Amino acid sequence: MNYEQAELLDRLAAEYTLGTLRGSARRRFERLCVDSAAARSAVYRWEDRLSALSRTLPPVAPSPQVWTAVSRRLFGAHPAAGAAPRVGRRRTWQLAAAAALVAVLVVGLIVRQAAPPPLQTLAVLGTDTAHPVWRLERRLPLTALTMEVIGTVPEAAGKSYELWALPHGGAPVSLGLLPAAGRAERTLSEPQRLALLSAEKVAVSVEPLGGSPTGSPTGPIVIVTSVPAPG
Amino acid sequence: MSRSEPDGAELEALLSRCAAGDRAALETLYARVAPILLAVLMRILRRRDVAEDALQDVFVSVWQRAHQFDPIRGRALAWLVSMARYRAIDLQRAARPALPLSEVSALEPQLQSESPLEGGEMLGTGALLMRCLEQIAAPQRRCLMLAYEEGLTHSEIARAVNEPLGTVKSWVRRSLMALRRCLES
Repeated sequence: MNYEQAELLDRLAAEYTLGTLRGSARRRFERLCVDSAAARSAVYRWEDRLSALSRTLPPVAPSPQVWTAVSRRLFGAHPAAGAAPRVGRRRTWQLAAAAALVAVLVVGLIVRQAAPPPLQTLAVLGTDTAHPVWRLERRLPLTALTMEVIGTVPEAAGKSYELWALPHGGAPVSLGLLPAAGRAERTLSEPQRLALLSAEKVAVSVEPLGGSPTGSPTGPIVIVTSVPAPG
Repeated sequence: MSRSEPDGAELEALLSRCAAGDRAALETLYARVAPILLAVLMRILRRRDVAEDALQDVFVSVWQRAHQFDPIRGRALAWLVSMARYRAIDLQRAARPALPLSEVSALEPQLQSESPLEGGEMLGTGALLMRCLEQIAAPQRRCLMLAYEEGLTHSEIARAVNEPLGTVKSWVRRSLMALRRCLES
């Protein structure tokens, strides 16, 4: 890379980090970052330089519902589950009180938010119909995807399973890593959403831990499944 | 007033435990940084309910992407704050459709009274950054802060400071390059 290119890259990284790079230019730069280590490291340097600016803002305590929702989205139904093992017998009553509070909060949330966006099954992924491994569901309207382990995930030491949308006539677009256990909900970026809306099939590939380093499938594709047309 | 800042080494350790699937680490990380990130999100998204939804998304991503954090390439707090800012910027169009001019003008007095130097004592890179910001002329510095803190676009900044768009674009660009030179000197 020559000096002018390096300068341009640094300027784009600066405006990306600052937030003034917008719209399609922002999306293009994000795609460039997937492929270019130089672009990524320019962004990291600017993140480091500018993040101190945020520290002039007084912190704001989030409402308790936020953690409850995070915990439910990542770890499933019981928000207090993560805390349970650290609570001794003497604090059982506290746990009960906390559980009651959580129940109140959950009820409060349900009342407050009326109905959460409904889920629709998108595909059941498995090596064959007798051995389902993951269930994919999408939020309606399509904003997020949930991935739930419903069978035995084939052992793949030091590897990750990555989900791809195969848009009609286009390159595969990563939809993120499939969980090794439990259920995960992934918010879709605009490119992911569009890819999934135009996809006829989704695929699963075996990738290095943490996902494909190139942004395209690099390992063997172990599952390909049709998905219904967007309804 | 000095702002207590989470310990960087602790945040790094918590992120690596998250990457290993330790749920308690995510809870501790949340306790340490959620209030900082919510402040960042509320400033850009303006509405508490929208900002709290975004905060949820950020922590879901932190858990899913903790393995991508590499302490060699940057500091943990910078990584977390950046995740929050990028989420806010992505949500902004939906949450804040075409900020009307009147709202920008309404922000004016509040913003004019602010100085980036009011944050009080800062240590390390924070202090250096503030010294470098001081060297940038006030109007240019304001454009930079409107972009960073408020998440305004070039056009929104141009309306807020009542300068032509081209001027604002070049002020922002030159301020960033001046910051880089100052921080690296």
